[in-house]
Amino acid sequence: MSTPAQVMEQVETQPIHPPPTSFWRKYVFSIDHKVIARQFLWAGLLFLLVGGTLAMLIRWQWGFPYQKVPILGDVFLGANGGLIGPATYQKVFTMHGLIMIFFAVTPVLIGTFGNFLIPLMIGARDMAFPKLNMYSFWTFALSQALVVASFLVDLGTAGAGWTTYPPLATNVGTPGTGQTLVVAALFVTGVSSTMGAINYVTTVIRLRAPGMTWMRLPLTIWGLWLTAILNALFIPVLGSAALLLLLDRSFGTQFFIAGAAAVRGGGDPILYQHLFWIFGHPEVYIMILPAWGIVGDVLAFFARKPHHWYRGSVWAMVAVTVLSAMVYGHHMFMTGMSPLLGEAFMLFTLTISVPSMVVVLNWLFTIWKGSIRFTTPMLFALGTMFVFGVGGLTGLFLGDISMDLYLHDTMFVVGHFHFTMAAASFMGAMTGLYFWLPKIYGRKLDERLGKVHFWFSIVGFTVVFGGQLLVGWAGQQRRLFDPFQYTFIQGLRGLNQWTSIFAFVLFAGQFVFVWNFFKTVFGKAEAAGRNPWEVTTLEWTDTTSPPPFHNFDVIPVVVRGPHEFANPDVKRLLGRDWVGQAEKVPALEEAPAAAAKA
Amino acid sequence: MRRARPLLAAPLALAARQALAAPLPESGFGMPRDVSADGHLVDWLIHYTLVAATIIFVVVLAVMIWSFARHGRGHLAEYTHGSKASAGVLLGAIGFIAVAVDGNLFYRTLVDMNEVFWNFGALEKDPAAVRIEVNAHQWAWLARYPGPDGKFGTEDDIVTLDDIRVPVGVPVVIQLASTDVIHSLYLPNFRVKRDAVPGMVNWLTFKASEPGEYEIGCAQHCGPNHYKMRGVLTVLTPERYREWVETMSRDARRAYDPEDKEAHWAWDWRSY
Repeated sequence: MSTPAQVMEQVETQPIHPPPTSFWRKYVFSIDHKVIARQFLWAGLLFLLVGGTLAMLIRWQWGFPYQKVPILGDVFLGANGGLIGPATYQKVFTMHGLIMIFFAVTPVLIGTFGNFLIPLMIGARDMAFPKLNMYSFWTFALSQALVVASFLVDLGTAGAGWTTYPPLATNVGTPGTGQTLVVAALFVTGVSSTMGAINYVTTVIRLRAPGMTWMRLPLTIWGLWLTAILNALFIPVLGSAALLLLLDRSFGTQFFIAGAAAVRGGGDPILYQHLFWIFGHPEVYIMILPAWGIVGDVLAFFARKPHHWYRGSVWAMVAVTVLSAMVYGHHMFMTGMSPLLGEAFMLFTLTISVPSMVVVLNWLFTIWKGSIRFTTPMLFALGTMFVFGVGGLTGLFLGDISMDLYLHDTMFVVGHFHFTMAAASFMGAMTGLYFWLPKIYGRKLDERLGKVHFWFSIVGFTVVFGGQLLVGWAGQQRRLFDPFQYTFIQGLRGLNQWTSIFAFVLFAGQFVFVWNFFKTVFGKAEAAGRNPWEVTTLEWTDTTSPPPFHNFDVIPVVVRGPHEFANPDVKRLLGRDWVGQAEKVPALEEAPAAAAKA
Repeated sequence: MRRARPLLAAPLALAARQALAAPLPESGFGMPRDVSADGHLVDWLIHYTLVAATIIFVVVLAVMIWSFARHGRGHLAEYTHGSKASAGVLLGAIGFIAVAVDGNLFYRTLVDMNEVFWNFGALEKDPAAVRIEVNAHQWAWLARYPGPDGKFGTEDDIVTLDDIRVPVGVPVVIQLASTDVIHSLYLPNFRVKRDAVPGMVNWLTFKASEPGEYEIGCAQHCGPNHYKMRGVLTVLTPERYREWVETMSRDARRAYDPEDKEAHWAWDWRSY
């Protein structure tokens, strides 16, 4: 509970500013976290489409090798007669990975939801550093511009894989401006993420509304906050790796070059991998923690039941955050690391499955005995749970050195991380979009189209990434332009082809969302109202849809946790199954005592 | 006679390639046939994990589906934030999985790694072990055998391209390096792989259990022609292997050119 003095302090530190009036300040160089969130959303969705298109090219090559690519072939591959060649192919899968991770999922999951939800869900008028927030977006836009530019230069864009391992990623293996531009884009997007992360971390610590204690934060905020901490700590490590790689590429240094191209001893290619994965493994949690948070909240909201063992989930997420940087070595089991070090990394990797299971089983216990409403966001939340389950369980195989002797760098790895980083992150993001779009744009997405989109996505992801797991199980390596060069992969032609066909269906199904999104944002759908889902958190209970520039006319005073559903006393007193986080019900405080007496 | 060999070898190689192009009986959905003495250890772990993961998955899915069917809109949600008992059930289940699955995996793997897959020190001392230096480059595998003198970098060294031959039933110890970018030597039928990193010498070991021809793959993206970095690993009977080594090193000594520095890429065998 907060004292009146605390309330006064909030009012003084967060005064109401008048909204901007000029076009540039309002829509372009805005410092309003809600506008910046929309900017990230558009930027991210646009690149999601680009990344998805590149994925279709990869699938085409595996399903129908050496055949002319329909539609896209004439437009993008005209010089090669509409065919994908080995050099083009390596650029395609490299950019698919980089775009999806850094320029599509990150801006949607972290840029959009982090910006939009953090101030609204903790009861703040804006971010702690609104201008830094604006710089963060425009730095990100610059990095996207660099990516676009890389496609247009001689020799084309980057081709050294999303991990950008040197020496392949140096001029030894990938000459040309394209690769340099992409590494520069990584550095620049890292600067953007770091700025965003500092902002998120500070905002959650400093600007929580009175009464919003740590253990009353919605799980979404926990996910985003822990993500921001990981970003602030580890994105700079990626930045240093990218910077050294840029020096190797453009200034003739040899930090990462060894072998025939090395002069006077050269450098160490493995050093890059350490730097990359110290960032890279936290990155997979960076991409899943916000989704975990969103799913945790949405499951409770639509099971109309408090989240099971909220504290357990919070501490499990904290434990995952701490452990995430201590497991990265499992990406490098085959590089010749010391067996003792490998075994230590294996131990930590297996250990991280424990807090992850706490999170997932808490979801399960939350829906158990709930009163489930199968709305579109709920379907996507349940879908996230399903695909994350598959992804997590296949991770058991890959955290183990012995099994990695066979499975490392096969399609099994690809299937595993697509279930977690692609399917679970994407469906987590969609959960958030279907759920919060009424708040972001004031209008609800069409539920029927949303459900069609859901079924395309869940079936598509499961079959396509399941197909990847199966071919990986049979030993097919990653990143093969023509896998069927190998005799032992010959028998997988049909499986690869069917996986491709389902991938096209999955991709086509996403246009249902595109249609729904445009229809809602630009169409004449009716206003959603303040709290269309009848849920408990501040952004729904204490402000309009969309919220005004200053978010809250009066900063709410929080009195309870985020998932107060199905409380029989509330039902008796208010006639509904939910009560808002900042809703004062004096009778409720006395009710438990009365109930105890009775 | 020796002149005639290439003439004979070419059509034979062509025929072999044709035969290889047809799918092997074992190729298909499952793992490639295991033809190593120790690959079954990896397979055991994979199958164990598969069974464990499937059980966990099915149980969780069953509870989810039960909830969907029984705890829908018509059902009144139970008011609970979780109790000591429910958290206890949850932690108990996780504790059981952690010990029975994670713990078992960890223990079995430690034993397997230390006794077999990464036990390079002991294998190296085995006098019967076959030692090979493999030097990867874009996009081929160069393999070097020490020849009868047992020393690398001498004129009787056998050097092959995308063609590694080993005897059956004997430990093979490979030292692995790369001249340009990172590659990864991958032997699917033997359940092993290891990165070839420029500036480093890495170790790989396996023991073949069945003569025949198997594939060598590259598992690390190494440039546009990564997909073509395919070699053949031939497992021979000990007699045929001895014959092959003798013939090849006799040829090698004859073809040795002290001026050809490019061909002298051997390194001193490193002890582990």
